[in-house]
Amino acid sequence: MFEQLDVFRMSSSMAVHAGQRQAIASQNVANSDTPGYVPKDIAAFEALYQSGHDGSAQRATRTGHLHGSVEGQQIAEPFEVRDEASPNGNSVSLEAEMLRSLDAKRQHDRSLAIYKSALSVLRSTIGK
Amino acid sequence: MSDFSKALDVSSSGLRAQANRLRHLSENISNADTPGYRRKLVSFQTAFSLGDAPAEVKTGRVHLDQSELEKVYDPAHPLADDTGQYDGSNVNLLIELADAKEAQRSYEANLKMFEQTRKMSSGLLDLLRR
Repeated sequence: MFEQLDVFRMSSSMAVHAGQRQAIASQNVANSDTPGYVPKDIAAFEALYQSGHDGSAQRATRTGHLHGSVEGQQIAEPFEVRDEASPNGNSVSLEAEMLRSLDAKRQHDRSLAIYKSALSVLRSTIGK
Repeated sequence: MSDFSKALDVSSSGLRAQANRLRHLSENISNADTPGYRRKLVSFQTAFSLGDAPAEVKTGRVHLDQSELEKVYDPAHPLADDTGQYDGSNVNLLIELADAKEAQRSYEANLKMFEQTRKMSSGLLDLLRR
């Protein structure tokens, strides 16, 4: 029932997007000393929402498919961020990743606040 | 698997890799005076991941630094050759300490990410509270 309401749908997909961004930032930080690693990022939620294109990656429909989203999960397609590389070919900047992660956290908090407030509106309509 | 557990997984793989690196560094430092010891080097590599799983990090094979060993002059040493010299280790304490500092920095960054992810998922669970 809640899935039909647009505000719930939008805020929950915003939270999912924030989670994905956080996972990507964690991956970049974990690989901050891997030679030749190029950091990744996904498009901002606003851009994905406004373009109407969900930016999702290809689906993996069989177990043999190496990349892509599984089980109908919509994941945004990550792209590589080319930046100044250190001598070993790694171009992760820890500062940029911290900012990215903070961005994701703020977006997540925002979406949860929207969800919570919409939920309290819904509760008050049923008189509880 | 949710994005949060993926993020926690990849952060903990980073922590593990940095701790492993630190272990080899301390091994090098403690063997700095061992005759004939070659310093050990570990490199990081991305673990193969299936599907949309994030790219975890792991430490690769250990290599020995093949640079020349330091010659120490000490005719009284049991390992000394005809010229009174023996092979020391090729550990440079300055390099090891700088490397340890870098490992610490990366470890803290991973820890920060872990904490951040944990906060986000506990915020999600707070939705259930009234």
